[in-house]
Amino acid sequence: MRILLVEDDLMIGEAIEAALKEASYATDWVKNGLTALAALDTQTYDLVLLDLGLPGKDGLDVLGAIRARNNPVPLLIITARDGLDDRLRGLDGGADDFLLKPFAMAELLARMRAVLRRRGGNAQSLLDNGEVALNLVSKQASTAQVAEVQLSSREFALLQALLIRPGAILSRSELEDRIYGWGNEVESNAVEFLIHALRRKLGSHVIKNVRGMGWMVSKGV
Amino acid sequence: MDGFKRRLSDSVQSRLSVTLSLAILVVALLAGAFAFISALDEAHEMQDESLRQVALLFDRQHMTLGYPAAGQVADDDEDSRITVQYLADSSKAVGTDDASIPLPFPLTLADGLSTLDIAGEHYRVLVRTTSAGERIAVAQEADVRDKEARESAWRSLLPFLILFPVLLLVVGDLVRKLFRPIATLSAEIDQRDQQALHPIDEQHLPSEIRPFVVAINRLLKRVAQAMEAQRRFIADAAHELRSPMTALSLQAERLAAAPMSADTRQNFLPLTQGIERSRKLIEQLLALAAAQSIAQRAEAAVSVHAVFRRVLEDLLPLAENKAIDIGVESIDDVQVVINELDLLILIKNLVDNAIRYTPAGGRVDLSVERTEQGVRIEIKDSGPGIRAEEQALVFDPFYRSLGTGEAGSGLGLSIVRAIAERTGIRVGLSFVDEVGRRGLRVSLWLSS
Repeated sequence: MRILLVEDDLMIGEAIEAALKEASYATDWVKNGLTALAALDTQTYDLVLLDLGLPGKDGLDVLGAIRARNNPVPLLIITARDGLDDRLRGLDGGADDFLLKPFAMAELLARMRAVLRRRGGNAQSLLDNGEVALNLVSKQASTAQVAEVQLSSREFALLQALLIRPGAILSRSELEDRIYGWGNEVESNAVEFLIHALRRKLGSHVIKNVRGMGWMVSKGV
Repeated sequence: MDGFKRRLSDSVQSRLSVTLSLAILVVALLAGAFAFISALDEAHEMQDESLRQVALLFDRQHMTLGYPAAGQVADDDEDSRITVQYLADSSKAVGTDDASIPLPFPLTLADGLSTLDIAGEHYRVLVRTTSAGERIAVAQEADVRDKEARESAWRSLLPFLILFPVLLLVVGDLVRKLFRPIATLSAEIDQRDQQALHPIDEQHLPSEIRPFVVAINRLLKRVAQAMEAQRRFIADAAHELRSPMTALSLQAERLAAAPMSADTRQNFLPLTQGIERSRKLIEQLLALAAAQSIAQRAEAAVSVHAVFRRVLEDLLPLAENKAIDIGVESIDDVQVVINELDLLILIKNLVDNAIRYTPAGGRVDLSVERTEQGVRIEIKDSGPGIRAEEQALVFDPFYRSLGTGEAGSGLGLSIVRAIAERTGIRVGLSFVDEVGRRGLRVSLWLSS
């Protein structure tokens, strides 16, 4: 994996570059927008990490130039600007994700993996939040304590719905939508029943109940 | 009276109305007096003229005079009649009474008009020498003449008496109408909300006010620029503060991954906690600055339960660390019209506080309810609550309750207040358990 890091702050750049190398990414670090565009012309990258507050050419302009050249490289914006405008302009301008400074390195690595996974299409066969892993092909789940266990198709659908966005709370009706197809009769307590079954198989800490709101799996790191 | 004086000195409109009314009054009085005097003169002249006409008629027709035997004529009003007699007959006057004819005029009267005192009455007398050489006196009582003259003079004042109040009304109305653009203008400015800094339309204003409005527009523009500069400062400050903080925390993270002795690791932990605390403080400072800035924010119908969900997704790890049972009590969702980010930051800060000040194993409840007075959102916790004497202080920046070892930023409730004031949300603090004086209940009232 080859990463292009566009960051003008030396301390931040050094830290990210070192951390990326430790995580086995090959990293090219450039400090302004023009060099970044030149690097993208000569080299194919798997991912671009782009700071917005760059000297000379603003990060959003760099993003525009990249997309104007029909370069589809996955791109993650790292910025200290938290204005909603900047965020929307970044995402509308073709960024895949938006990470606000200051951030933890683990968060950046997780977001990078998520972006790469999304760009890789549905080829990925494993959902994992650090606590529970779900094999999308074999419909088997596993945790640190529990070896692979086979799930029923409804249990699988429910756990998959939760694992797609770890940390997000899904309400009962949202889970019912994922479990039942159109026109299927929804049995009362079906969601509770499935969650009870999943907890018995995987441990009760795996799925958390948020009183009055719904259920979630933890965000993990 | 004082109030009237103040109004007079404060209001150009009142001053103009009163001054114009006074001017009209003075002019009306002067014109009235002049009209009165000239009408009086006119009447007298006409009466003199009629005496002259009688004398001329008498002379031209060569009339001879005979006096009624009884000295009285039937159907004759003695007061208003015109008496004609030979001046020489004055000596034959029988009575001293003015009702009997002839009247005792002095024989020495010269030709022409004069006013005399005869038999206890004022008379206006014209003496004329006829073509036959006789001298005749034509006389009328002056009192009657004066009375008639005065009456006609008063009649000449009538138009003034009617027109004066009409003129006052017209002036008052006119002044009000002329000042209406100013009233409309001030109403328009008054009704603006505090973010509306667009210039005032100066197209349809009188040229006297326009320079004033142009000056106000210039001021509005400067204020807008200052606010824009403030907004940019916040954005710049965010960048400037966050970048070194990012560098610091990333370096610390790398250091944490490096091998170190148990002692060093022991000392390293407070360092990362300190970095985390500074990071949080910067975030809260920026959130407060953003909450206080009056930038225009888009409003839309927002689901309160959706906001609850986002807050819980963010803060659940914090609650889990303290084994706090956090949840939503209300079953039905409520939609409110507000800026979603405002409501999110508001509730997030309150829930963050609730988790922070509730002892481990406690409970935090969120709820929303539509009432007759509007929408009420409540955040209740099982913590110590806030004493009544402290309730006004906790909204001040950097205020912390004594005896709480919490490492919060001290800005959470200041952010809440800034957003509440800007969006018109009322915030109320009370105890969940009023008798035991425990547990904080924060109530937010939104007008919907």
